[in-house]
Amino acid sequence: MTRVVVSGLGVVSPYGAGTKTFWAGLATGECAIRPLTVIDTEGFRSRIAAEVPADVLPALGASYRRSRADRLALAAAREALAEADLAPRDRAEMGLFVGAVGGGMLEGEAWYGEARRGRPSPRLRALRSILPVSHAETLAWRLRLGGPRETVVMACASGAASIALGADVIRSGATPLVLAGGVDAITRICFMGFNALKLLDPGPCRPFDRGRRGMSIGEGAAFLVLEDADHCRARGARALGELLGAGMTTDAHHVTAPHPEGEGMVRAMADALAASGRAPADIGYVNAHGTGTPQNDRVEALALVRVFGEGRVLVSSTKSLVGHTMAAAGSLEAAATLLALQHGLIPPTANLHDPDPDVPFDCIPGTARPVEVGAAVSNSFGFGGQNVSLVFGR
Amino acid sequence: MRVRRRVVVTGMGSVSAAGCGGSSAVAAALARSAETIAPLKAFALPAGSSRLAAEVDDGELMTLLDADAVRRLSRICRMAVAACRLAAADAGIEGGARLGLAVGSEYGDFRSGAEFFNGFLRRGPAGLSPMIFPNTVMNSMAAVVAIATGAKAPSVTLNQATIAGDLAVARAVALIAGGRADAVLAGGVDEIFLDVYGGLSALGALSPMAGGIPEGCRPYASDHNGPVLGEGATFLVLEEFEAARARGATILAEILGSAWGSIPVAPHTAPVSRRDAYRTVGKALDQAGVEPGELGRCYGSGNGDPALDDWELRLLEADGIRDPVSLAPLFGQHGGLGALRAAAGSLAARVDGTPTLVHGIARGGCRAAMVIGRAA
Repeated sequence: MTRVVVSGLGVVSPYGAGTKTFWAGLATGECAIRPLTVIDTEGFRSRIAAEVPADVLPALGASYRRSRADRLALAAAREALAEADLAPRDRAEMGLFVGAVGGGMLEGEAWYGEARRGRPSPRLRALRSILPVSHAETLAWRLRLGGPRETVVMACASGAASIALGADVIRSGATPLVLAGGVDAITRICFMGFNALKLLDPGPCRPFDRGRRGMSIGEGAAFLVLEDADHCRARGARALGELLGAGMTTDAHHVTAPHPEGEGMVRAMADALAASGRAPADIGYVNAHGTGTPQNDRVEALALVRVFGEGRVLVSSTKSLVGHTMAAAGSLEAAATLLALQHGLIPPTANLHDPDPDVPFDCIPGTARPVEVGAAVSNSFGFGGQNVSLVFGR
Repeated sequence: MRVRRRVVVTGMGSVSAAGCGGSSAVAAALARSAETIAPLKAFALPAGSSRLAAEVDDGELMTLLDADAVRRLSRICRMAVAACRLAAADAGIEGGARLGLAVGSEYGDFRSGAEFFNGFLRRGPAGLSPMIFPNTVMNSMAAVVAIATGAKAPSVTLNQATIAGDLAVARAVALIAGGRADAVLAGGVDEIFLDVYGGLSALGALSPMAGGIPEGCRPYASDHNGPVLGEGATFLVLEEFEAARARGATILAEILGSAWGSIPVAPHTAPVSRRDAYRTVGKALDQAGVEPGELGRCYGSGNGDPALDDWELRLLEADGIRDPVSLAPLFGQHGGLGALRAAAGSLAARVDGTPTLVHGIARGGCRAAMVIGRAA
């Protein structure tokens, strides 16, 4: 079977631009969840989020006329391609798989609000980039990527799914190179929606804590260059890690709630492990979906127990550091997992002061922990009962 | 050489302006001579707007759903659930851990997004409905279909203009060929909604795009002047060949080859001079072992958009293929149209045994191709 390695990585996160900045934030355990400024939060239960800092956006190198999300995506994708050091001919057949949900909705909402209030709006062009597919069109054009292209909308599992589906395309032989990841900017609809569902913690989220009250919204983008291992070796490129396997399942249970026993989550992890050829005991770390909602963390812990056994694996949630970046979350967490393997350091779960006894795992509270791990799992779950698990190795 | 699992078509279900039903209803819709494109009835249009559409008959749609589904589901979700149930019944297939979903959509549940946001505009935070919010995510149709059909293998939603249904079917083929599922309900869905229709019309993206007359859907014609929106949901049941044969399924056709690629051009553009370096059609034909001259027909994505029609003709000509047939005048442009092309190709190949090329190209350069033939 074709082995798929990661030969480039690019991230724009609430810490700022660049993979090094991202890793520095994770390693120090700095929580980037702060008062939200990009939209008005008056009257909402939660008024915080993990935004990409305002002073970072102008330095991303993308036109201010593009949507906020497109700018995040372009910067992350360019960094990943630069690290992979690809020739133009490699890009000509390179696939592009983008996990997206919000699209250019932040700008579209501004237009829509004005239009509904009967004000003539000059922002009609915002409609052209309102849909999730706009990111893939922009990236393919600006980066000259001519291979298979997909915009994957699988709610909060979109970023991870794009990586799994992109790797499948490499394994099918359709192309040896794929740029895969996810992007989402904060939008009013997303922020207001999770507020309406009462799924946001008024304070910074506390995954796996007994007193957790919900999640914190975030934004960002992360892209991975996935490559046929033989192709990578032949061109003398460096592999940052290997995508050993991926599992994708559906709960078919409820539109917003996970299956109460985590049945689909278990299948996703089991499928990923089977594809990777690794046993549960070979996995040293799980980057959990870990949103901080009472229900998700309880069910994910149940699923982890069923797959790995109580306390048999280290678990942390990087959402406690950079918020829940929606469609980007799976790709940011894939990047965090790869970096943890590279550096032999597991990012902590921030704000975890009173561990929930229903989560029988060491969830690395507060401080990153030096541990050499050979293989790790990144979990992403989403509305619609979407479950994706990725297994990475060094 | 990689061993590729064979993928066959064992059922189909459709909800469109030309009727609702399984494979026999799709065949009847394709043979229909009565016009389906007519002045829009669902809502009033502002002056200067486009006026035509291919609308689904809501009365007929309601007969396909139980009262609970009608009460709980948004309109686009109703169409998706109805079409998938029709397809599953047509194929005689049941849900389970090896049944997946691939759903293509151009606009998703935009109606729910607008309704949710309007609640805020009217009443502030108190006006936000937690019941509507989940529908604003584009995978909401896949979520309700998964529950309705028991599909527990991967459920993939793809957003794409013009060829969303083509991409979903091609992705489904890859899911089965790669072993992620043994069967996949694959297709597309969209609905006509005031804000989408009005926005596209204001952007000059619908017939009559440049003010030409008369308004209408005339793909590949010299007087084509823009697409006409349609709506509906069409899904195929794709299955791994051996699994289908083992359960005694009726095999309608086989997907002999499929590929999707892209031509990196500026978003929303269709530059007629740009060629496909990835060889999307060539890859699909190679996989099928079919030469262009052996094709019985080609269903193209031409929808009357002059730039896009002309680009498609030029690209196909470079691949040695001429005279594509468009189904857009029958069903209108929507996310299910690519699946209708695949359905038409399957039915045609079954009748005369010659392979069909199903082709699609969108502004922005996303391209898909499938070769469908009779299963040997």
